[in-house]
Amino acid sequence: MVSLNLCSDQLLVLLAPEQVRALDFLARDPELSFVAAQAAHLPVVRADAEAVLNLHPDLVIAGRYGAQTTVSLLRARGLHVVQLDEPQDFDGIEKLVAQVADLLGVPQRGSALVAKMQARLAALSPSNGAPHPRGRAVFYEAGGWTAGPGSLADAALHAAGWQNAGTGGRMGLEKLLAEKPDLLVSDTAPSKPSMAQNLAWHPALHGLARKTVPPALLICGGPFSVAAAEILSH
Amino acid sequence: MKFLLPALGALIILSLLVGAAGLGVPDWLILWQIRTPRTALAVLVGAGLGLSGAVLQGALRNPLADPGLLGIGGCAALGAIIVFYWGISIQMPAALPAGAMLGAAGGCAVLLALSARALSGPSLILAGVALSALASAFIALALSLAPNPFALAEITFWLMGGLEDRTLLQLAVAAPPIAAGCILLLSLGRRLDALSLGEATAATLGFPVARTLVLASLGVTLAVGAGAAVAGGIGFVGLVVPHLLRPFTGQRPGAVLLPSLAGGAALLLAADLLARAAPLLLPLAGEPRLGVLTALLGAPFLVRIARRAIP
Repeated sequence: MVSLNLCSDQLLVLLAPEQVRALDFLARDPELSFVAAQAAHLPVVRADAEAVLNLHPDLVIAGRYGAQTTVSLLRARGLHVVQLDEPQDFDGIEKLVAQVADLLGVPQRGSALVAKMQARLAALSPSNGAPHPRGRAVFYEAGGWTAGPGSLADAALHAAGWQNAGTGGRMGLEKLLAEKPDLLVSDTAPSKPSMAQNLAWHPALHGLARKTVPPALLICGGPFSVAAAEILSH
Repeated sequence: MKFLLPALGALIILSLLVGAAGLGVPDWLILWQIRTPRTALAVLVGAGLGLSGAVLQGALRNPLADPGLLGIGGCAALGAIIVFYWGISIQMPAALPAGAMLGAAGGCAVLLALSARALSGPSLILAGVALSALASAFIALALSLAPNPFALAEITFWLMGGLEDRTLLQLAVAAPPIAAGCILLLSLGRRLDALSLGEATAATLGFPVARTLVLASLGVTLAVGAGAAVAGGIGFVGLVVPHLLRPFTGQRPGAVLLPSLAGGAALLLAADLLARAAPLLLPLAGEPRLGVLTALLGAPFLVRIARRAIP
């Protein structure tokens, strides 16, 4: 089993680490990958057709959008390649986990993961019945982009009882301040230099209530994404 | 030239009143933390670029001279990017302009060496174009090797130039070198005037050409290097401004320096105001990049000057 994508890497490690022949190299990055600690002991590969062919995998798992040319090359060589969709909410994550668990032949591990995630989601539900009892929140991502409807971050905000004031478009600092959100959500301060991520730490935003979510929880949808909603509900 | 300062003053006031949060006097927080650094940086960076262009055109006696066209801007960007993506500027914010100035100094050194080998006129500009291309290649290489996997994507945006959402810290770090560079460049007026009478005449007046070129390079390194570190890639201001102002000042190189300082500030501030006003007036999702606007103005200008300058 070879995975060519950070997102399939994580599902593979959570469901069947013993089947891993190689993961994408990003799986070892603790800021991007929830399973970085386990991946440190597993072999990695760059999405490179030659390297993958050399591993003679039974199955290659890739993302829907990345490494297109590699995927078509591998298919042309007769390899079985499955491309996974990116889930946009917690229902999508459940379906994805079940799909990958079936592919790997470990459906019972899949249902166990899904059940655990459902229990944690249920524990979050706001009890007083109001749809958005906590107020309006903006999820501020790198470069000033906001999380809009149809994104995992939006699903996490709703699961935690926030109304999402973001649109999915870019929001400059002035617009953001004029929006006066009750909560500003950003990635945890990056350890690697990033111009685009510095924006969320502009001094003009210091007065806003803020919660930070480790990017590894939401870059890919997985059972761990529920932890983002838990952070937002505290 | 009396219109320049009032125009600049009016632009500064307008700049504090226009932004994404709407027109009129904004919240104190927005006014002080967002629009003040943005306005001050537009003035400083523009002043440095306009003045650098005027000095380079005088010192090289070449109407096409411009820090961007000569590749000094590209080298400054390369220096800034290396310092930023290797994390040096996180511990030490002043390292970013320092890196950009080091890059600019490297570019100037190459150009000085080439001009010492009697490369001048359009050939020197072509050498600058080659230097730009080399700097772009090294920028791409530095980004491919950078630890942040998203570096390549986010820097594309930065290289197009812009001043949105800057901080007071960035202003505090960039202002001293830009100001020092501008003072040095302004002091070169008499040398440039002497040089316009010919190299031999200038030397007998006590202004050898080599020394003038070194001083000009030093000033440009400070002003353009520190400017590029905060504003990214902004081209053509140094080319356009002196040409626009010469009809009012006359051809004497020393006379166009101070007006180019004010004119560069006014032009860049006006371009930045246009960038901010665009999403308010047109159905745009965001601001156009500042470097795109200056290029739209500058590129046709370059063609016009080149037609006159190159027979």
